[in-house]
Amino acid sequence: MTSIRQVKTVCGYCGTGCGLILEVEDNKIIKIRGDKEAPVNKGQTCVKGAFAYQYVHAPERLNTPMIKKAGKLVKATWEEAYDFIASRLSEIKNDFGPDAISMFACARTTNESNYITQKFMRAAVGSNNIDGCNRT
Amino acid sequence: MGSNTTEAHPIIGNRIKKAAKGSLKVIVIDPRKIDMVKSAQKHLQINVGTDIALINAMIRVIITEGLYDKGFIGNHTGDFEALLAKVDRYTPEFSAGITGLLAEDIIEVARLYATSNKSMIAYTLGITEHHCGVNNVFDIANLALLTGQIGKRGSGIMPLRGQNNVQGAGDMGCLPNQLTGAVSLLKDDYRSRFEHSWKVQISQRVGDTQTRTFDKIETGEIKALYCIGENPLVADVHMNHTRALLEKLDLLIVQDIFMTETAEMADVVLPARSWGEVDGTYTNTDRRIQRVRTAVTAQPGVKEDWEILCDLSARMGYQMQYSSSEEIWDEVRELAWEMYGGISYARLEDEYGIHFPCPDENHPGTKILHERFHNGKENEKRSNFVPVEFTPPLEQPDEEYPFTLTTGRRYESYNTHTQTRHYASGVKIKQTEETLDIHPVDALRLNINDGDLVRVSSRRGTLTVKAKVTEQVVPGLVFMSFHWSEVPTNVLTLNEYDPISGTAEFKACAVKVETIA
Repeated sequence: MTSIRQVKTVCGYCGTGCGLILEVEDNKIIKIRGDKEAPVNKGQTCVKGAFAYQYVHAPERLNTPMIKKAGKLVKATWEEAYDFIASRLSEIKNDFGPDAISMFACARTTNESNYITQKFMRAAVGSNNIDGCNRT
Repeated sequence: MGSNTTEAHPIIGNRIKKAAKGSLKVIVIDPRKIDMVKSAQKHLQINVGTDIALINAMIRVIITEGLYDKGFIGNHTGDFEALLAKVDRYTPEFSAGITGLLAEDIIEVARLYATSNKSMIAYTLGITEHHCGVNNVFDIANLALLTGQIGKRGSGIMPLRGQNNVQGAGDMGCLPNQLTGAVSLLKDDYRSRFEHSWKVQISQRVGDTQTRTFDKIETGEIKALYCIGENPLVADVHMNHTRALLEKLDLLIVQDIFMTETAEMADVVLPARSWGEVDGTYTNTDRRIQRVRTAVTAQPGVKEDWEILCDLSARMGYQMQYSSSEEIWDEVRELAWEMYGGISYARLEDEYGIHFPCPDENHPGTKILHERFHNGKENEKRSNFVPVEFTPPLEQPDEEYPFTLTTGRRYESYNTHTQTRHYASGVKIKQTEETLDIHPVDALRLNINDGDLVRVSSRRGTLTVKAKVTEQVVPGLVFMSFHWSEVPTNVLTLNEYDPISGTAEFKACAVKVETIA
């Protein structure tokens, strides 16, 4: 018999920040309910928060880096993708300066990843060309 | 104002509706008869993009009737005379002509807002997605300062934010002019704090907004774009133009969880971990920091966003090494301690959420901002009024394109729909495809029945979509969302932007609607 785990987390859709309890079985989310202890939503959920979670397990999820060759994206290893990006970004930075590179950060990812995103642009690339969908 | 709360922020909508059953009076200001109208004492069904005409008239009523907070203005504000001069011509009758409202309704709402012991304004993209979005926000602030409806519980200005962590992304420094903690990167002592910790010189050239980035791709000044978890091709205005710009890049890197329309155009695609697989914190719409936790082991082949960036950084000659999200967060707490110093993972475990600013472990967090306005003292740093003039939407309907198209979101779908395509089985979805929402009077005149396919065109593009005949819109106004890439609404929208924020005018463009023979 497999056991069902319960994980407390926060919804990943809109900015309300509802607390959710995820029921997990066999490494799959099988049910989501509102967390009654959550100060924001006190147990309530909307249709997206409670039911639109199957994307996490969708077979269409990207599962490998890809590089465009002859107009087509083809599978690559992480090493190949990293080497390609690092060498192309370094070339562009050398030829045109760091401000020829721009970054669109992600309003859906964590604070921690966003901190690293801007640190990458400012410290590794050397530009303040970083923005997000804050404006849309 | 300009917030379809029950569809875009359903739980906040629920709480407002519940409070409206008690003593809360809700005024809805929106061009559409949205669901919240059912709970509202009054609906000001305003013409699209005429918010400043309304607010300036409200300000004028409040001043002429002496309903403003004189003590508050004297102690805390500046440039009141300039505000007086600016709003002088906005009589209720003058603004009624612009907004399509009745003068007496404008007067009634102005009185209600000013004289209630607590009034709050909640707004969303209906305010910001205009060429005058920043001016719209300035005018909301003028109204709050005029009446002292800010800095105390139950009052204030509440922008309802659209993404789980759009607040946090900006706060963390993903902005072209600010470092982590929302401080200008041109502030020398603050910047040097980061330079010392990061052991690197930070450029003092303020960077480009997304809008200016697109301009500079066009001029060839920007050659490479790295895009994380965003689908600008479908989400941004004037899609055909956006596509041409992305094609022009020497290097497009996309990091995402799905092969989005933008990812298909990329030179390199990197697979990232999704919500449910990541660990860390989000900052919600009321500045509350909460923990997001790993629920499932990540799918094989994907990496967490920060892990990818650290790997790449090392290859570009700058080492970033972290073993956990908590270690990164502790660096944030140390550098931007005024905001986050007291918000440890351990405290979040106990307290669920903490509002920043929270400078130290003994600080409870800040639930209400600007309380200094009510401490009985005169403020050293004054909040100046910023008087603004009404400017109409840039593309007005005319003979050839007689409708105004306004865009927004629908309840069951989220943005470009890459995630909400994947509902749990058995969930009944009401709206499964895009529609053009059109008023019965217009539909009758154009001989359009509910469910008919129609062609919608603007000066920038054309598409085919099913008509939905509904009284939610008024005659002359049509509505679409942009959730379905099969019906790419943003081929129609206008690439005009607010000059300060760079936000595009998603909320108004001129279109024509034709039946398909």
